[in-house]
Amino acid sequence: MTVVGYAFDEGWTSVRRAGKSAVISIGTIAIAFVTLGGFLLISVNVQRALDRWLEAAELSVYLQDAITDDARAALESYLASQPAVLAVEFMSKSHALERFQNDFPELADVTASLSDNPFPAALEVRLQTGQFATDMADELARTVAEREGVADVRYDRRWLARLLAIVTGARVAGAIAAAVLMLGAAFTVASVVRQSLHARRDELEIMQLVGPPFSYIRGPSIVEGLLLGGIGAAVALAAIALVFTMAGRSLEADLAGLTGGAQLRFLGVRESAILLFGGLAVGAGAGALASRAVK
Amino acid sequence: MIETHGLGKVYGRGLYALRDLTLTIDKGEFVFLTGPSGAGKSTLLRLLLLQERPTEGEVIVGGRNLARLSQTEVQAYRRTVGFVFQDFKLITSKTVFENVSFALRVLGLPVEQQRRRTYQVLKWVGLQHRLNSLPEELSGGEQQRVAIARALVNEPHLVLADEPTGNLDPDLSLEIMNLFREINAGGTTVVVATHDRELIKWVGRRVVQLEQGRLAGAEVPQ
Repeated sequence: MTVVGYAFDEGWTSVRRAGKSAVISIGTIAIAFVTLGGFLLISVNVQRALDRWLEAAELSVYLQDAITDDARAALESYLASQPAVLAVEFMSKSHALERFQNDFPELADVTASLSDNPFPAALEVRLQTGQFATDMADELARTVAEREGVADVRYDRRWLARLLAIVTGARVAGAIAAAVLMLGAAFTVASVVRQSLHARRDELEIMQLVGPPFSYIRGPSIVEGLLLGGIGAAVALAAIALVFTMAGRSLEADLAGLTGGAQLRFLGVRESAILLFGGLAVGAGAGALASRAVK
Repeated sequence: MIETHGLGKVYGRGLYALRDLTLTIDKGEFVFLTGPSGAGKSTLLRLLLLQERPTEGEVIVGGRNLARLSQTEVQAYRRTVGFVFQDFKLITSKTVFENVSFALRVLGLPVEQQRRRTYQVLKWVGLQHRLNSLPEELSGGEQQRVAIARALVNEPHLVLADEPTGNLDPDLSLEIMNLFREINAGGTTVVVATHDRELIKWVGRRVVQLEQGRLAGAEVPQ
C-alpha cells in the first residue's frame, strides 16, 4: 500500500477515535459552509433575477402629446441609428392604456373612470447587452431627453446598476463573513488534529525512530483534516438542499413578483463543487498546519 | 563504522551527560557500553540514533557526520539503523506483523516482499505463530523478540540496543543475547548498552566503560 493508502487508513482511524471532538469539528465546518452555501444560493438566484431584468431593461422615451409625426419619425430614426440600440418600437397612447389594463386587471375600475387617456405615447428602445452598450446607453438617455417632442425618459438600467452594486456589496460581506467562519472552522479542525497527534504521540515517536519519510508521519493528519472538512462541507450541502426543498417551494410563490414566476434554482455543479472542495481544502490545510508540530 | 571525536552532550545549565568522548567501533564489531546509571550510555545511543544532536564534537557513522544531516536525511539514516529498547517501543494498536512490516512499508517495498520478509524475520525470532497478536497479548520476552525482528527486518548495518534485557529474567536475557550474537555473526555491527556484568561476561565481547559521561576504560573479557 502506498503512502496515500496508509494516510487514508490512519486518517480515518483518527477521525473515528476523535469521537465527540470530530463531531464538533464537523459541525463547526458545516455551520461555516451553510453560511457560505446560503450566500451562494441567494447570490445565484438574485443574479438570475438581475440578469433577466437587465435583459428586459429598456429605455422608454415618453413623447409629448403634441409631437408631430415628422418629429416622432426623426426621433425614431435617431434612436435606431445608435450603436447601443437593438430595436425601437412605437407604443401609441391607446396601446399603452391597453397594456396597463392587461397588466393590472384589478385596476380596471380606475381606468374606466378616466375621461381622458393619461398614458403618453412612447418609443420603447431595446438595448444591446454588454458594458460598452450600457455606457453608451447612459449617454443616449441623457441626450435624448433634450430632443424635441420628448416629455420624459425612463432608463431601467440605472436603478438596476445601483441594485447590482448593493447585491455585489452584500455578496462581498457574505464572503467575508463566510471566510471568518471558515477560519474559525479551520482552527477547530487543527485543534482536533492536534489532539489526535497528542493521543498518538508514543506511536509517532516509535514511527520516527523507524525512519519513515515525513509523508508517512504528516500524511494521516492531513487526511484527517481533509475528511473532517469534506464531511462538514457535505453535511452543509445536504442541510442547504433540505432547507431549499422544504422552504423553497413556498418562497417561490412569495417571490414570484421578483423572479418573474421563474423557479428558484438550487446550487449548480460549480457552486456545489466550490463548497465541497472548499471544505476539503480548508480541512487539509488545517491538518497540514497542525501536523507541522511533528518535527 | 562508528567514530566519535570529542563528543559532548550538555543538558540545561552545563550538566554534561557526555564529555569529550572519542571512540571507534569497527564495522561488524559487537560492543557493550556499560557503566552505572547516568554514565551516558543511553545518551550515546540517542546521539547515534539522532534522537538528539551533540553539543560538542562529532559523530561519524558509515562516513557520514550525523550533525550535518538534514531532517529528511535523518529519516533516511534511521532506516539503515535497527534499534531495540528496554521498554520494547512497540505500537500497541498494531499487530506483531504490522509492527514489524511497518519498517518495510515505509521503504515502499512491494506488499508481497513485505509479507515474505516480515514472516521470515518473525520466524527467525520464533514468533511466526503470533503474527496477529497485539503486543499486550505477548510476554516481555516475546515483545522484545518482536522489537528485535523489527530492528532487523530492514537488514540494517548497525543495530543499537539500550538495556534490551532490562525487563527480562536471566533465561530470557540469554535468549535475547543469543539473537544479538547471531545478528552480529551475519556481519551487522551491534552496540548494546547494559549494566549487567554477568551478561557481558557470558557474551564475551569488547566493553566500553563509561562513567559520568567520560570514557573510563575498555576491555575485552576472556
